Amino acid sequence: MSYINSYCHISNDTVKINGENSTSIDSDSIEEIIRELYLSLELKYSKFHKMDQLSKIAFIGTELIKQANPEISKSGENDIALLFSNSRSSADTDIKFQESYQNGGIPSPSLFVYTLPNILIGEIAIRNKWYGENMFTISSIFDSEYYANYCNILIKKNAEAALCGWINVDDDKIEAFFFFVTKKDLKQLNLPLDSNMLEKIYRQD
Amino acid sequence: MEKLKRELKEQIIELLNLEDIKVSDIGDDTALFGESLGLDSIDALELIVLMENGYGIELANPEEGKDIFATINSMADYISKNKK
Amino acid sequence: MITYIGSENIISPLGDSARENFIKVKNNETGISLFSGIGVDKEDLYLSKIGTLSDNNKFDVLLAKCLDSIIKESSDNIINSKDTIVILSTTKADIQENLTAPIQSSVEKIKVAYKLHHTPLVISNACISGVLAMNTANNFIQSNIYKHAFVIGADVISDFVLFGFQSLYAISNEVCQPFDKERKGISLGEGAAGVLMSSESSVFKKEALEFVEGTSSNDANHISGPSRTGEGLYRTVQKTMELANIKSSEIDFISAHGTGTLFNDEMESIAFDRLNMNNIPLNSLKGYFGHTLGAAGLIETAISMQSIRTNTLVKSLGFEAEGTSGGINILTQNLEKEVSTILKTASGFGGCNASAIIRNI
Repeated sequence: MSYINSYCHISNDTVKINGENSTSIDSDSIEEIIRELYLSLELKYSKFHKMDQLSKIAFIGTELIKQANPEISKSGENDIALLFSNSRSSADTDIKFQESYQNGGIPSPSLFVYTLPNILIGEIAIRNKWYGENMFTISSIFDSEYYANYCNILIKKNAEAALCGWINVDDDKIEAFFFFVTKKDLKQLNLPLDSNMLEKIYRQD
Repeated sequence: MEKLKRELKEQIIELLNLEDIKVSDIGDDTALFGESLGLDSIDALELIVLMENGYGIELANPEEGKDIFATINSMADYISKNKK
Repeated sequence: MITYIGSENIISPLGDSARENFIKVKNNETGISLFSGIGVDKEDLYLSKIGTLSDNNKFDVLLAKCLDSIIKESSDNIINSKDTIVILSTTKADIQENLTAPIQSSVEKIKVAYKLHHTPLVISNACISGVLAMNTANNFIQSNIYKHAFVIGADVISDFVLFGFQSLYAISNEVCQPFDKERKGISLGEGAAGVLMSSESSVFKKEALEFVEGTSSNDANHISGPSRTGEGLYRTVQKTMELANIKSSEIDFISAHGTGTLFNDEMESIAFDRLNMNNIPLNSLKGYFGHTLGAAGLIETAISMQSIRTNTLVKSLGFEAEGTSGGINILTQNLEKEVSTILKTASGFGGCNASAIIRNI
């Protein structure tokens, strides 16, 4: 058995932590929204600006989950599994990379490195020095059953906690949901992890 | 030459997304791949693209970039000698 | 409970079955050849490209052919069972044809065509996808979520991927030479491979092997440059051995990742040195198949399973002189010896690393 200790929704106009509105967003373009969210974190991480949109949102969501779970820093460096998925893979960056070489242009190396969706897991691992299990899957809809099953499996096997996320971004829409699962109930929300519960909180947005 | 150096600093900041860095933070002799700017190997490859797109200079081998991209001075020097 | 693994299949320029591919590999034949005018600047480059299939719809055709072959080698109807999951491993799927949704239509087609009970799970985790897919299958089976898993990996060559690796100066202008002093980068490849994994040995038509354990770990260092200490690779192999309760002295062979780039191969040698695996015979199969990305882990596992079945290790094609600092035992010729337990490793962009141990029963 494992427990959901916090969760976070990010959309174009709001950030919700554990289902409660935490930040309203005033910006319009996706780029400005992401910038506004980054500034609201009040931290300096120069690598952030080099990331693609998908990694930037993953980074912001992870920082928000960390703020809601100060305990997270006590986890061992091998003990946090990172499980992410979406429906669009890295399409947003794939389009930009293809544009860079079409019509005789030079393919951009800094775009190409972000044409794999699991790069966002690497960014989170680098930022936090987390060496645990990695997994990026692609599914057409948020698959609560997979998440509940696989979190429980890894937590039973070789992780103390799992940070999970579902992130889609395109030219005009951000849809992101993050949740943090631990072996021990930290008694923050009293939410045992199962697929029905997960589906319910995912849909709270 | 001063114009070219300023242009290079602006291009590097824009191209490599150095949000927290201003033109005045980059000295003509600042080591681009040292601590202050924190550029990495992918940035070096992106500078090769800049040389080709911006100045029509093709580098055959990324190894050549090491000396050329050492500082703004060395970049400007190389561009002014090789620009097509 | 044992997780069985078998019914392996490979589709590559070298053939359409694991056996056919293994015979060619044993003869040290390569699928890599020169293609003219294909690079971003119209340069000639080496690829391992399947010429017998049309490029049109190639990804879907590869998946279907591979799945058909595994189904043929397993009990009737388990593909349709409610206890069965299909796991697909790919990095870019059909990106050339469908930039914004390269995988969804393939998943739907397979689900309908094979009357699957569950939607296939797609793992897209760079070059460790194939090994990760097997690890995931094992985890599902060990937890009784599913009894059987058809694990298929496929990727096809596209301008997108080729030009991308060219932009990183990671493509060799010769046939790739993993671990060699003169190595200059990768040769891109395409293909598909798959295995059946199950909690029941009876579902396999030929004798199955045991999938003992598998894990993954991140370098937490850089998104495209391998760790200088081989951190993630070192950690995943350690974790896998610990969970499997297997010591390095029990491992007969390492099927390494060995892409042929300067930094990757050096990183692997350092990790194996730190693991005190210097004397274990090791190869990279990229000299035969090129780097097939999402298919690589499964192609290389299927060949290694043939090594266990035939007690024959194949040489690391393209390797002549030591070019890494770890001091590792790279196979310079085929070797007949008893092969019981093998270690498969993979590393990829995003700093990810995965490992798995398979043994004879």
